Amino acid sequence: MALADYLPIPTSKLPAPLRGPSTKFVLEDGTPVHGMLAQYSKTPDLVHAVEAVRDAGYKVWDSFSPFPIHGMEESMGFARTKLPYIIGVAGLSAAAMGYLLQWWISNDYQMVVQGKPYTAWEPFVPITFEIGILITAFTTLLGMFAFNGLPRHHHPLYQSERFLSSSDDKFFVYIEATDERFDPEATRKLLEKTHPDHIELIGQRD
Amino acid sequence: MTQLSATQYKRRLKRIAEHPAMSAENITADRASMDKAAAIMIGIGALLLALTAAGAVIVNGRHALASYAVGVYAVTAISLGAMFWVMVFELVRSGWSAGVRRQFENVMMNIPLCVVLIAPILIFELAAGGVLFHWMMGDADEYLVNKKSAYLNPAFLAVRFLLYGGIWILLAMKLWGYSMAQDQTGDRYLVNKARFTSSWGMLLFALSVAFFAFDFLMSPDYRFFSTMWGVYYFAGGTFSSIAVVAIICCLAKFFGRMTGAITAEHTHDMGKLMFGFTVFWGYIAFSQYFLIWYSNIPEEVAWYTHRKENGWEVLAWLLVFGHFLIPFIILLQRPVKRSLVGLAIVGVWLLVMTTIDKTWIVRPMVYIRDFAQNDPGPAGWWLDVVAAAGVFAVWGGFLVRRIARVPLIPVRDPRLLKALKHKNYV
Repeated sequence: MALADYLPIPTSKLPAPLRGPSTKFVLEDGTPVHGMLAQYSKTPDLVHAVEAVRDAGYKVWDSFSPFPIHGMEESMGFARTKLPYIIGVAGLSAAAMGYLLQWWISNDYQMVVQGKPYTAWEPFVPITFEIGILITAFTTLLGMFAFNGLPRHHHPLYQSERFLSSSDDKFFVYIEATDERFDPEATRKLLEKTHPDHIELIGQRD
Repeated sequence: MTQLSATQYKRRLKRIAEHPAMSAENITADRASMDKAAAIMIGIGALLLALTAAGAVIVNGRHALASYAVGVYAVTAISLGAMFWVMVFELVRSGWSAGVRRQFENVMMNIPLCVVLIAPILIFELAAGGVLFHWMMGDADEYLVNKKSAYLNPAFLAVRFLLYGGIWILLAMKLWGYSMAQDQTGDRYLVNKARFTSSWGMLLFALSVAFFAFDFLMSPDYRFFSTMWGVYYFAGGTFSSIAVVAIICCLAKFFGRMTGAITAEHTHDMGKLMFGFTVFWGYIAFSQYFLIWYSNIPEEVAWYTHRKENGWEVLAWLLVFGHFLIPFIILLQRPVKRSLVGLAIVGVWLLVMTTIDKTWIVRPMVYIRDFAQNDPGPAGWWLDVVAAAGVFAVWGGFLVRRIARVPLIPVRDPRLLKALKHKNYV
């Protein structure tokens, strides 16, 4: 996963999926293996391959397509994101903070505005609402970035000439070497059964 | 639909007819038992309304009429909300809703009943020279009433009521007629006709609903005015009509109907609309209150002042939490929106809340002039429950009767294929 690539954390202390490239397997020239890439030219092939990888129990992997494919979440076996709960907590606590801030200021530094009570709840509502919305929006965007490991400026996949066509007319499945089930032989065998055009190993080069 | 050739269109209707969800027993209700249920509901409703009439004599006539009006305004809002959704679905050529649209049409066709139920309110008001409509009473503030008399006078009010009723019944009959004809013939151009009717119908609907709300829910206190009032009343009908449809679908599922025709995907979409319009209600209800509270103009703010004292503040706070905050938090949850049972439970809650909303609007009119004299105390509170429940039971009875008489989904709607395959990709 992406986190170890740009955070100065000792990789040995991270949980397995975040640990960065495995050095268990190396290419012929000695570079560590980052993952295995399989290329497909038809959408149904990709969907079937993705389902096979999911059923084999892989966790650290991804698929690539030039366009969105409906139902890919189920085919890849994605769990639903936990982001909504984080957003909910952040948004509601931000709204509460917004209300408390106004109540504190109006109560502590009392000013007569239009003869209304100092701490009337009505004028606090729009600001409470706006702060809630603002923090919710920020949490959504930044939380999405954090969960996706973004922003990320480089990925070992970009070394592959073939991978360029993932934005044109080809489909890819990529299994990373950090996955516990990754094994150059077994993984290749699994991918070969799904009739890919090519399979290649990607090295961890900078 | 028009770009399909005749053969393609025929093939599409054939594919719809051959869909496993379209088997006859799956899309028709058991008429005999439904008729029995309808008869029981109408019977109970009639009994409760008779009790209300008795309460008018025993307890207080104004109180009884106000309680009855609360129920009538609530079911009218729901029926009008259903008509709004039918017109929206036709206008935007919505594919997902083709299956559930029939239930909205069933609720919509209670509009003639609602007009009949409103009529006694108007008749009593006109005959008694004002029961809740304070501008009709002799001791009203002469200056203001004279200023407003060009609009607020009994003859014009009766004309306007006939106009609103006429518009609603005309629109409902037209849309219902197209849908029924389509069930029979499968004519693809009926979709376009319904869409055209909805285009001018939506404009008339918006104006007639807004002015109905002005005339019957706002102007009883003739000093009060709010340009948001029409939207407030309309907002009360939008989510509650979806609540009724969710309850219908939940019961249909319970009795083994509409399997495969109404799925978690349709439920999810109805849940989203219910959520959105509950928030919409909260938004405009607060905005209306907020502006009036801030500007503090006596004739406007008095309306809210009456509803923030003498115990009405309990209902006001109940609406803030029960009508907005609690449904907001519950309907935020995706699993609730995707579960028909969850949505039906929230739906029942929202129906209670929208009735309490109408209670909070209408009932204080009984006490506004002389609180102590007219207050029957808690001894009369049973009238509020009995009258509203009676109206809801009669209204529900006619709804159940109608559901049993037509297929549960529009069987030859060309968009049904899309609805049967509908899926949310979020």
